[in-house]
Amino acid sequence: MNFSRYGEDGIRILFGDVIDLDVHERVRHFFFFIKSLQREEVIDIIPSFRSCLIYFDLQQTTFERLSSLIMEKMQTSSSLPVPPDPFIHEIPVRYGGECGPDLAFVSSHTGLSENEIIDIHTGITYTVFAIGFIPGFPYLGILDPRIQVPRLETPRVRVPEGSVGIAQRQTGIYPFQSPAGWRIIGLTEVSLFNDRKEPYSLMKIGDRVKFVKV
Amino acid sequence: MIEIIHPGWLSCIVDRGRYGYAAVGIPPSSALDLYAYKALNLLTGHEEDAPVLEVMGAPFSLKFHEEILCAITGAKVQATLNEQLIKPWTSFRATAGSLLQIKEVMEGFRFYVGFSGIMTLEKIIGSFTTNIECQFGGYQGRTLACGDLLHFSEWKETDRHSLPEREIPVMHSPHRLRVVEGPEIHYFADESVKRFVDRESRIIYDVSSKTNRTGIRLEGPPLSFREEVEKSIISEGILPGTVQIPGDGLPIIMLYERTIGGYARIAMVVKADHDRLAHLKPGDYVLFEMVSLEEAEKLWEGKQKSITSLNKTVRRLS
Repeated sequence: MNFSRYGEDGIRILFGDVIDLDVHERVRHFFFFIKSLQREEVIDIIPSFRSCLIYFDLQQTTFERLSSLIMEKMQTSSSLPVPPDPFIHEIPVRYGGECGPDLAFVSSHTGLSENEIIDIHTGITYTVFAIGFIPGFPYLGILDPRIQVPRLETPRVRVPEGSVGIAQRQTGIYPFQSPAGWRIIGLTEVSLFNDRKEPYSLMKIGDRVKFVKV
Repeated sequence: MIEIIHPGWLSCIVDRGRYGYAAVGIPPSSALDLYAYKALNLLTGHEEDAPVLEVMGAPFSLKFHEEILCAITGAKVQATLNEQLIKPWTSFRATAGSLLQIKEVMEGFRFYVGFSGIMTLEKIIGSFTTNIECQFGGYQGRTLACGDLLHFSEWKETDRHSLPEREIPVMHSPHRLRVVEGPEIHYFADESVKRFVDRESRIIYDVSSKTNRTGIRLEGPPLSFREEVEKSIISEGILPGTVQIPGDGLPIIMLYERTIGGYARIAMVVKADHDRLAHLKPGDYVLFEMVSLEEAEKLWEGKQKSITSLNKTVRRLS
């Protein structure tokens, strides 16, 4: 665990260098630990694959004070709170064609047939490593290295709601029509975000996701 | 009630922002110029954060269907009430039937229009602000259009107020943005970092026409990544003001609409310069200047003082 500064009012806590389930478990435990402290000076906390980013209120604390408070709390708590149980989501997906305009690229990039790519993509139960960049978007891993592809150098201006994308060792679902830098291989009708109902996002960090071809 | 006659290039309802749910990707979507936002609230009698209009570009006009106190802050504009020039950063009383017109934006990009009433809107996830991309909050989750009617409740009975000219920030191009080092600054060759921030030889960027409320895209010679690094990073949390460099080498300054980014974070714009980001318009010039975190903190202290002292600098008019 490594604390570093992120601008004036951010703390970046790094747990590892790679996308990895052990690193993820540490991120997840730390995230739910910080939440359990219910500190007013912590405005937001963003967990992701290998780090947590804390956004704190400069009017109430400083980087040094908040970092040492967190360290102290971690050392003095006899046991860290147990994170909530992961939920398993099954997501039906239509692959390829108009629903997955980049499936052909993935096929030519990897030398695998479209069906092989779909089998590989549906063959793993993924873990929700993070939620962002837009509300409810799950960053899922770990993608099979055989279908690993680079992101688009220039993101697409718009992809439809429900688009399923892959990039590097990750896969994800776009909950809204939005800009996208990942390669789109399919489309789902499952709704991932509801602004009227807490906790707003269908998924939370640590949940599991299984894609099913329809 | 007011009626939008012409919404400018883009206008929407904003407030201080939506916080506490970044872990599920919900961004602040706040007003971009928070100094102008705070001043506007004080000019219209609000101690608390009231929803206001954020408008980009002229012409903009609205019609008052009842008497209300109103003010305009942010970008320097030429504004008239029933064809009579009115002073920005100064509240004015508008009678029923009168027409407010912003004919020209002279300096800066976004201006704010606020009222002594609180607009009757529903708070979504704790805020009135509009998440335009995801279509929630604000006025029906969208930007304002001709004919939209905004109702008020909870009038604040207040006197007219004004902010002295010297307290109005400068917003014109070129924009010199101070930055601190980002986590991936070492992804770029020394030569590239030098071209990014060096006083003598730095790149003068143009603000791209692809700029929006999510991010400001800059155009200029691309920065080059070191050969041994991947051009994208394992996606990680970001905060407003983060300068990302995608594979094409051209900077994007992230605003208040993203919680996670996947591109190398070369730098972060210092907090003291965040409000200035609201006023970078396509074609403007942008230069970066690296400062230490200690300097950034000092700059913010100064800025924070000017924000908190707005309570005193905003003067009641007799």
